[in-house]
Amino acid sequence: MEKDETISFLKERFGEYYRKNRIELPDRFGKREFAFMPFGVKMMKRHLSFKRKSDLINYITNMIPAHAYYSSAFYQNPGAPTMEEKGWMGAELIFDLDLDHLEKKKARTYEEGLMIIKEEFTRLVEEFILGDFGFDEKYVKLYFSGGRGYHCHVTDPRVLHLDSSGRREIVDYIIGKEIDERIIFKERIVEGDDIGRRRSIKRLEIPRPDEPGWRGRIGRSIIDIIKNLDNEDVVRSLIETGIRKKDIERLKSEMTPDRILRIEREGRIDQSPFIRRFFLKAAIRRIAISSVAGETDEPVTCDVKRLIRLPTSLHGKTGFRVCPIDIDDLEDFDPLYDAVVFSDDPVTVELKEKFTITVKGETFDLAKGRCRVPEYVAVFLAGRGIAKIINSE
Amino acid sequence: MTDVRKLAIYPFLTESKEFVRKMNITIDEILTDIVYEKARLFGVERVMNALDKGDVGDRKLRSESDFISEILSHAVAKMIAVCVKDNFVIRRYALGEAVHAYRHLVNEDIDFILSVCKDLKLNVERYDGGVKIHFIDYLEYAPTSYQKWKLINRTLDRGFVHIENKNLRDLIRIVQEAVMKKIILDISDKVCIDTVEDVFRKEIERIREYLARRKKRLSSRPVGKVNLADIPPCMKEILSMIQSGENVPHMGRFAIVAFFHALGISREEIFKLFSAAPDFDEERTRYQIDHITGRISSTEYSPPGCDKMRTYGLCPTEKMDDICRSVKHPISYYWKKVKK
Repeated sequence: MEKDETISFLKERFGEYYRKNRIELPDRFGKREFAFMPFGVKMMKRHLSFKRKSDLINYITNMIPAHAYYSSAFYQNPGAPTMEEKGWMGAELIFDLDLDHLEKKKARTYEEGLMIIKEEFTRLVEEFILGDFGFDEKYVKLYFSGGRGYHCHVTDPRVLHLDSSGRREIVDYIIGKEIDERIIFKERIVEGDDIGRRRSIKRLEIPRPDEPGWRGRIGRSIIDIIKNLDNEDVVRSLIETGIRKKDIERLKSEMTPDRILRIEREGRIDQSPFIRRFFLKAAIRRIAISSVAGETDEPVTCDVKRLIRLPTSLHGKTGFRVCPIDIDDLEDFDPLYDAVVFSDDPVTVELKEKFTITVKGETFDLAKGRCRVPEYVAVFLAGRGIAKIINSE
Repeated sequence: MTDVRKLAIYPFLTESKEFVRKMNITIDEILTDIVYEKARLFGVERVMNALDKGDVGDRKLRSESDFISEILSHAVAKMIAVCVKDNFVIRRYALGEAVHAYRHLVNEDIDFILSVCKDLKLNVERYDGGVKIHFIDYLEYAPTSYQKWKLINRTLDRGFVHIENKNLRDLIRIVQEAVMKKIILDISDKVCIDTVEDVFRKEIERIREYLARRKKRLSSRPVGKVNLADIPPCMKEILSMIQSGENVPHMGRFAIVAFFHALGISREEIFKLFSAAPDFDEERTRYQIDHITGRISSTEYSPPGCDKMRTYGLCPTEKMDDICRSVKHPISYYWKKVKK
């Protein structure tokens, strides 16, 4: 009975949001598949399609879903039950960064996790999507997922027909997979002057910091690591990315001032294979985007037919809005302010366990048992299943 | 206006087609008029060379009319390929044209190569020290399953992949792929003309016999100790796609190599199976097989189970049989079938 009260509270709150707010519809929405997850039941309603905008809006306001999705692909018959009958026509390129995929840094709290993922997302957008891939800002749309991550949709007409192996290449590029050491450390033959005798010498060089793409990035990162080997923060960040402490110690002992100078001034790195491997691994781990979905075996970003959260809908586990973000506003974006849609009217809840969260700048340090919290905190706790709603009048 | 001699080497170019159009001849004339007999002979030779040698080959061209015959023979060859109505032949022919173009393009100057790129609608520009191609075109045509071709091992800057002047052959390799795809696309929406079937009855028959022999050879050949009749429908499907040159997604290639490897088939035997593909690339195939079987990578991959095959759309549900329904892994299918 109490559980039903929690569900009806959430439905009632979400319902009001959907009645009062205009949902942002994707381009070609008539060619998209929609899918919804209702409250209280773990059963996705899939293969839905809508011809008119009002049909979709009516559907959402009647059903009041906990989670709303649409397909990144567009189809001839989006409502058909199988892929063959749907008739794939193209799909946007989707990047999905989520805390759940984040391995290298362990976030301690939800808030901290959101900050880490935003930093990673910012790097993905600036360095890779706008930088290396050179997409025009007008084709790049950014969203907070409402939960634990960020999404980037690339709508450039040129990417729409890219097949899954092409998309796989893009994912491999941003996660630094299968980089070839020989392409990073290039052999160069120079004319050396050896006590009056001229002869050619082979040497290995690191990329110049001003080179484009991965090479320049690795060159810059190597120099940065060398300069900061004594800096505790840098050492800690290396360890967090999975570099062994033992290796860092060994590197420090091998890095004689003479060697450091040679790398910094001449870019020469032919001293030892250990040093080379260390730098390559450390640089890639620091630069690559690691929390992208698809790093595991599941086809995600390279999936040409995946479902993605509907922008401006609500996330059923938090009550936060799937929030569009202007590229220029990304730096200042704070999901715990900007994605909060519910009021601060007090609601009585009963917590199953103690819980702490900071929303809109206010920290709620909640003990197990009953307490009164603002509506937006109540929705968050109820959605996560941490608390039951006691009264909702 | 490009020289007719050049158009004869690159008959797939828009300018070559324009040249033919301006001659104002009908298809019927090309097929039956005595004047175009040489074009018809050359056309047959193009297809046969493509099938036998993987290159449409060069002919001795002495006069202007020889050059024109050579240009026309490209159209004749395409008409023949359409009438054979076989995917392998179409792909193998298109590859033969593309390889021919590659072989000649390596001797051309950069301006001409760039004009060919433009004709093929490749977004290519020059930069100081080389050429750059937009990464979307790169991903469409470059053989990225080969490590050196992976996007990450290329210089990518503001949307363009850089190719240094000394590696200009890489650009030509991309052009080769684009030519092949263009010709396949060209052929795929054409229908067979009755006159072609009449005029080239003997030749088409010869090609069909060739195909039948090939098919028999492929299906009767045991692979190691494995009889191909015993492998599950999903693997049969992938194998036949590879052998007819259809585009098999990376996961499919991976699945079949890992599958045969798990059954104890040697790398060499797996390699032979792949070599039947019309656009078989020896070096690339070896690399892939070595990679998946753990010879040149630290991991020896195991073949995906039925769930994963389904996720990747590699399970042909309409071809499922009773054994399929009783197992969860393609390998179990094989053992169950063999024990029966």
